[in-house]
Amino acid sequence: MNLAKRDARAGTRIQYMSPELLFLAQSGQPYRGSLYINFISTGETFDLLDLKKYITSLRSLTLNAEDIAYEIYETINQSISSKDLGVVVELSARGGIQQTLSYGEAFELVKKKNIFQIS
Amino acid sequence: MSYAQKREEELEQLGAEKTEYKYEYSPELLETFENVHPQKDYWVSLNADEFSSLCPITNQPDFGTLIINYIPHINMVESKSLKLYLFSFMNSGEFHEDVVNKIGKDLVKLMEPKYLEVVGLFYPRGNISIHPTFSHSNGQEKYAKIEEHRFMNRNLNPQRIG
Repeated sequence: MNLAKRDARAGTRIQYMSPELLFLAQSGQPYRGSLYINFISTGETFDLLDLKKYITSLRSLTLNAEDIAYEIYETINQSISSKDLGVVVELSARGGIQQTLSYGEAFELVKKKNIFQIS
Repeated sequence: MSYAQKREEELEQLGAEKTEYKYEYSPELLETFENVHPQKDYWVSLNADEFSSLCPITNQPDFGTLIINYIPHINMVESKSLKLYLFSFMNSGEFHEDVVNKIGKDLVKLMEPKYLEVVGLFYPRGNISIHPTFSHSNGQEKYAKIEEHRFMNRNLNPQRIG
């Protein structure tokens, strides 16, 4: 899927976060997680409605967990030009193990606490 | 018969070599096992942080945490079957209020518990998060009182998005 380009002032550091990531493991069991995207604009960003539709489209995609950050990185990279693009996916624990996947430039995650999460 | 044998005979999905995931509403996935401590009332809480269904009108995904609290009678819901059942809502179109009641009714039908409640804490949509609560008792005085108490005291400390 291609994300439509939108103008953004060059040099703006942009971070998007979604706690609503869902895709399918090879077993068929849904993976749930949070997605973080970070980059510096070179004059453009992508349409947020397209991003929402893209995230929704992942619900029917079967992937190894290790490939999810790359999949999202490549979709963004092919849609817009940017600097220091990085993608991080934090998955919910499975079998007592929590996985975090990242691809591209490292960055600091800006986290908003989800008060509904039961710990 | 050993404890492990008894439990194995009661259940099909837990420990199965292959698990089939369904993405359309499938109440038949639910399984029970016997409560072997019926002489004493106790609470069971099941927290499901990964619940997702679709808006029946726009088809956009909804997400939320479900909290299920119950006092068992004879049958208790097995948690893997509950997981599979909850996943089966993934492609089902459900309003938040409806799905919480639907899950509550399915669990009451399955277990016939002394008391059961389902609380849905759904992520905000259009700046509004919806938190429906289903509650049910078997009608016996003690459990009817719990139902009434929980109903009358719901959300005295309202939650908000932080």
